[in-house]
Order: sequence, then structure tokens, then C-alpha cells
Amino acid sequence: MLLTDLLDLPVHDHNGDRVGWVCDIRFRIPARPAASDSGGVASPEVVGILLSPRRRGSYLGFERTDVHAPVLLAWWIRWRHRGTCLVPWSDVDHVEDGAVVLDAQYRRESPLLSR
Amino acid sequence: MSTSEHPSTGTDRGGRLIDARLHLLDRQILDCDGVPVATVDDIELSGIESDGGGTSSAPRIEAILTGSTLMTRIFGGRLPRSRLHRITWDDVAEIGITLRLRVRSESLDATWPERWVRDQIISRIPGGRHAPD
Repeated sequence: MLLTDLLDLPVHDHNGDRVGWVCDIRFRIPARPAASDSGGVASPEVVGILLSPRRRGSYLGFERTDVHAPVLLAWWIRWRHRGTCLVPWSDVDHVEDGAVVLDAQYRRESPLLSR
Repeated sequence: MSTSEHPSTGTDRGGRLIDARLHLLDRQILDCDGVPVATVDDIELSGIESDGGGTSSAPRIEAILTGSTLMTRIFGGRLPRSRLHRITWDDVAEIGITLRLRVRSESLDATWPERWVRDQIISRIPGGRHAPD
């Protein structure tokens, strides 16, 4: 599957009610063992989806906790994406054609990304 | 449904966290010599089936996809998968402001139009077979 097949898809809960859209996908790049001499970057694995209840589209970088400028733009983007959360991939039940379906007891974690 | 308010750290559980739109898509790709290759237009994921099947393990990035997406960006729509060139993730050396590869651009399918123009057009122009003095 391609990443752009997932971005902006509607997200449904277990009852079939729409809870938002996929506004981004978060990955973790595993740290390579110190003994590894192959170099390069280990293949990133999906941590979860950033679920925006109101808006499709990007967070424009303001999901980083240390980015606050320009102040008005930061405030506006965060207001547009209020209620956005990170849903761990383990709480995604399945991906069907045109929607992502979550588990009944899915978790809503902070979407902020600190450096 | 449960809620946690703690932000994800950039280096979580011994790894680095990145967001696809923020850190990958549209980034410039450079080869090992710093020569521009293309931009990241899409990413191929393994482990996700769109037929309603379960998602038991976390999907991984298999490859970077790049292609001539100028027209689709202007007029909308998406380029067919067959028109996108694949760069395997094993060739990625570093993720930063740009994506740096471990290989030379000459060895990649993604740069064939540039090689074709060089060999078929530029080289036929007098003086086109060597660098300017």
C-alpha cells in the first residue's frame, strides 16, 4: 500500500461512526545496534496515525512542541487541528477501501512531537 | 477509548520519531555525492492490506517512490503506480533536511530521463561531450 492511500482517509470507530481523518502517519526509526557496520537508516515502522477530528490536511509542522512562530499562524493551525490525537497502530482494527477502522477501545495519545 | 496527554519524544524507545508529511514527503533526495536525484513523492508500505484484513504487526517503509508529478500537483489527481520509480529504503543513508542515499544517481532507475537526454541530445551538440573549460 502507498502512504498517500492512507493520508486524508476518513477514520471510523468500531460502530462505523466517523471520528475524523488521517492527517499524518507517525513512524519510528529503530536505533541501529552500535556493532552494526552496515550503515544507513533502519526501515521505519508505523507508530500510529494522527487523527484530526475536523480537518484533512497537514499540521504544517506545528505538531512539534518547540515550534511557536509565527505566533498567529501557530495559534490558527493548532485551533484548526484542535482535538487531534495520535492513535497507536495497535489500536487500528483494519484498513478497508476508503476508510480506517479503529478498535472499540482505541487510545487517544498526545499528537505533539518533542525533539 | 482512553486518553494520554504526554507528547511523544523525538527519540522514543531507542529510536527516532518522524511524521510522514513533516519529515519525508516532498523532501529533496541527494545521492552519495550530493547530486540531486528527485523528491519524495510517495512511500511504499509493507504489511497493510486494504481488503478489510487485520493489521497484526506494524507496517514498515519498503521504498521511496518518485516520478513526474508536476502535472498532477497543478491539475490534481494521482500518477499511476506504474509511472513512479522505486528507490529501496536500504539505499537511504540519512534523513535530515534532505534524504541522502548511499548509492550514486547513475545506478537508479529514477534518473533515466536525465541520462537519456544527456546521451541522446546533449552529447550530439558540439562541445556537449565534456565539461566546460
